[in-house]
Amino acid sequence: MSEPSIFFSEVNERQGIFHRRAFLMGGVTALGITALVSRLAYLQLIQAQRYQKLAAGNQFNFQLVPPPRGLILDRNGVYLASNRPNFRLLVARERGMDVDKTVDKVAQLVPLEPDRILRLKRDIKRAALKQPVSVMEDMTWEEFSRVNVRAPELPGVTADMGEVRVYPYGGAFAHVIGYVAKVNDRDLAAAGPNPDPVLLNPGFRVGRQGVERAFDQPLRGRAGATKAEVDARGRVVKMDPEGDIPATKGKEIRLTLDADIQNRALEVFGEESGAAVVMDCRSGDVLCMVSAPSFDANRFVRGLLGAEYKALSEYERKPLLDKALSGTYPPGSTFKTMVALAALENGFDPNQTYTCHGVFPFGNRVFHCDKSHGTLNMHDAIKTSCDVYFYQAALSCGPDKIATVARAFGLGQMFDLGIEGQKRGVVPDRAWKKAHFSNQPANQQVWYPGETPSMGIGQGYVNVNPLQLCVMTARLANGQKALLPRLVKSVGGVDQPSGAAVPDLPVSKEHLQFVREAMAAVTASGTAASSGALGLGPILMAGKTGTAQSHTYASGSRKTEHLGWALRDHAWFVAFAPYDDPRYALSVLVEHGGFGATAAAPRAREIMRTTLLKDSEIVKRIEASGQGIAAAAPNVDSGAIDKAAPAPDSTPIPGVVP
Amino acid sequence: MTASALTRPGERDRPISKFQEIDWTFCLALCLIAGAGGIMLFSIAGGSWTPWAAPHLFRFALCFVLMIVLAMISLRIWFVAAYPVYAIGLALLVAVELKGDISLGAQRWLDLGPVRIQPSEIMKIGLVLALARFYHGLPPEMAKLSLRLLIPATLIALPALLVAHQPDLGTAVLIVLTGGSLMILGGLSLRLVGMGLLGVLLAIWPFVTFVLHDYQLKRILTFLNPESDPSGSGYHILQSKIALGSGGLMGRGFGLGSQSQLNFLPEKQTDFIFATLAEEFGFLGCISVLFLYAAIILMALRIASISHSHFGRLSAAGMTATFALYVMINGAMVMGLAPVVGVPMPLLSYGGTVMLTVMIGFGLVMSVRVHRYDEVTSGRGALL
Repeated sequence: MSEPSIFFSEVNERQGIFHRRAFLMGGVTALGITALVSRLAYLQLIQAQRYQKLAAGNQFNFQLVPPPRGLILDRNGVYLASNRPNFRLLVARERGMDVDKTVDKVAQLVPLEPDRILRLKRDIKRAALKQPVSVMEDMTWEEFSRVNVRAPELPGVTADMGEVRVYPYGGAFAHVIGYVAKVNDRDLAAAGPNPDPVLLNPGFRVGRQGVERAFDQPLRGRAGATKAEVDARGRVVKMDPEGDIPATKGKEIRLTLDADIQNRALEVFGEESGAAVVMDCRSGDVLCMVSAPSFDANRFVRGLLGAEYKALSEYERKPLLDKALSGTYPPGSTFKTMVALAALENGFDPNQTYTCHGVFPFGNRVFHCDKSHGTLNMHDAIKTSCDVYFYQAALSCGPDKIATVARAFGLGQMFDLGIEGQKRGVVPDRAWKKAHFSNQPANQQVWYPGETPSMGIGQGYVNVNPLQLCVMTARLANGQKALLPRLVKSVGGVDQPSGAAVPDLPVSKEHLQFVREAMAAVTASGTAASSGALGLGPILMAGKTGTAQSHTYASGSRKTEHLGWALRDHAWFVAFAPYDDPRYALSVLVEHGGFGATAAAPRAREIMRTTLLKDSEIVKRIEASGQGIAAAAPNVDSGAIDKAAPAPDSTPIPGVVP
Repeated sequence: MTASALTRPGERDRPISKFQEIDWTFCLALCLIAGAGGIMLFSIAGGSWTPWAAPHLFRFALCFVLMIVLAMISLRIWFVAAYPVYAIGLALLVAVELKGDISLGAQRWLDLGPVRIQPSEIMKIGLVLALARFYHGLPPEMAKLSLRLLIPATLIALPALLVAHQPDLGTAVLIVLTGGSLMILGGLSLRLVGMGLLGVLLAIWPFVTFVLHDYQLKRILTFLNPESDPSGSGYHILQSKIALGSGGLMGRGFGLGSQSQLNFLPEKQTDFIFATLAEEFGFLGCISVLFLYAAIILMALRIASISHSHFGRLSAAGMTATFALYVMINGAMVMGLAPVVGVPMPLLSYGGTVMLTVMIGFGLVMSVRVHRYDEVTSGRGALL
């Protein structure tokens, strides 16, 4: 062996140093390994659940399944709003996705216009990650399958079967049911900082009007999800049906409406503008509530073009307005029933006679009647709708008493229908006038005696909507209860409170009977004698016509037929039937229709006939009488309905449903 | 043949005696880790031997044979080869610097016809050998604190700077730490070490400001708070922690780790293979593997300690330090305790270069064990 170059003591010394330091290094290693083990224990034992959740969040992609919107049915189970399948093409942006390329590829599969392609590219780039954007709706089956075949090679592109709202009776229920429309920014803002993710789903629609809006929450249901295993690039590796969360269908809403009556009611309006309300006068159920002209709600679901909306909103006969609830009009002579009741309650003797010469001078004014009725009592005054009689009947009790009775019968009242849009109208009295003109000089706030005669014939400040007049008629017909209208029969199978569980009317039954008899005389031999006969054998209708001024007449002339549509009188007819055992009450308004007896009464008769013939007990009664059902009412100019004033512009308005 | 055979000159030079001196327990631990790596690579490939598991095991087998062969080589030859290996490594690093093959945005490889070599790997061995040889001839009082220590400091700094400039921060840190460990083992004043650490802390600010590349700084910053940028730089660490954490105690089962199987985990077969292991085999799997690593490191340190030559001691301990640093840095990185620096888990990760380096290192360690009674001198006579 060669000589050691280092002395032994030195060897010992540095060997010692090495040993100590190697030991130190071993210690440091052990410390390091211990640190790693502790960190592992923290991550894998203490935080395991948290990371398992995160791993699942990576691994599984829950795709939202929008819930089927609840159906809306009529009282007999006829679908008024349902859903139909809709094949959609969606593109959701993913990390590292080339949006332009993807959209270009999609455009090879389905027809897309160049403008649309540009807009889609922008929309998809702007949308949040994984937020699907609707590229195409209502694809054909061929397009749908073509996209489905190619989808696996196009990450982010999916074709699915969504649902779209459909209204089988496009127009008849448009005002009551409303429609659904795309979620807009305001909906999102209203939903708060954490909106329900379903709102962002491209196929999702929210209720915009009527029942769709008022019951939007129960109709929505709860979204479900499909669980899919995805890789880091977002591609679906496999579906996991066991992990799916089923969507909860929206609640079914059943209305009290009857589709047949509703459809017929819209039909009889033709091109006229107006509203009709029919109520069951024992339960308060609203069987028909229609506003004419209407619009096709299905167009609103798709999204209305600006021009379409403009045409609808600018059309003089206001198809977008729900005239049954939101339109208020002077009730005209139909209000005489209230005046009569108020006078009777005030001790007025119905046998008291007045003589009508066609004019009634009062104070420094002269009030007119449409003709000279001669001498008559209250019964005949209702039958022939004599204004002169009712000027004086009104004066006998004053505005406050009339208003009290009118309000008790529902005029100027709001009802809990479940949907929005009612306008209260006005039933004036002294207190109302003082409050209403409180910012005017004191002499404008007092009720002048000269204002009472106008009120007596349902003019002046009196303003009501067709629903209120129908409620009034139903309460008159019921003869006992202050019925409430009910529009929504059940929500998700839960019955809504009936409109019959209400207190009695605060008037005497004899007085009610008196008014009802007078109303029967109206259709038997009075103002609506020619147009109020139902032709249903023993089933008779009692009613009251109304012809309400829509503006202040020029001095003298009370004829308005020759005037432009917007200046003509409003035609009213309120009725109930059968007269001897009242079941149904209705009110019909023909806006600017002229005479109540000729414009409103024939339409009311048609609606009432349809209503009565849907009642099996009524049909049995007619059959038992052996008189049969006449095809159309006898001795009536059956063409009256069709002689509706033509619309001012014969060009059809898009979306307007006559 | 017992250890006493080694004490008899002549007897201990027989290959059969040397072969019997190889530490087979140590070899078993290496095989277990490489095997675990093979299993994980098989799982990550979706239950397939290709593309990773089979090459990994095959390479390990070759490297294992190489290690045994290297174990037979006399320490004297290692000793003589020390400076030349270092010199070649340094020359290649300079060559890479001058004309490197750009791979993954960094110049790390040198393409020499059929072979692609990574000079930084040669340098890991060369540096340990060179430092061990230097300290072998250095009187202990000088090893503590003297101007002569500028030589090892330069030996460390040259390759570290070159590697850092590639830029391969992970390897540069590894080189500095390995070299530093050797200087401490060699007898460097601990007071100086303490002051040095303080100096390093003070130097961090200019280093961060002037030297680090943007992406390097970003990696370092995100490791502190990976959730702040889950889809950007924090992605690696966050996904790795998710993989680890979701493994729980028992793991999600072989082949069932969603993070690795569905590619959420980046570099799952190389740098982040430990996360895959953690996901599929859980805490128990992890501590078993960490136990094996700890056993290997401690056994190697023990081998270093029983060597009669200072060169043997330091070279074995130096290779052990390299290995231990790999394990610590990778472990800390995968667990979110250190920034992502691109240091693989030795023997477990897929990749031939690191495996070759580590196994050559263990060949040296094993040679130190086999030749533990040999004296090595810097004298000329020892060479032949």
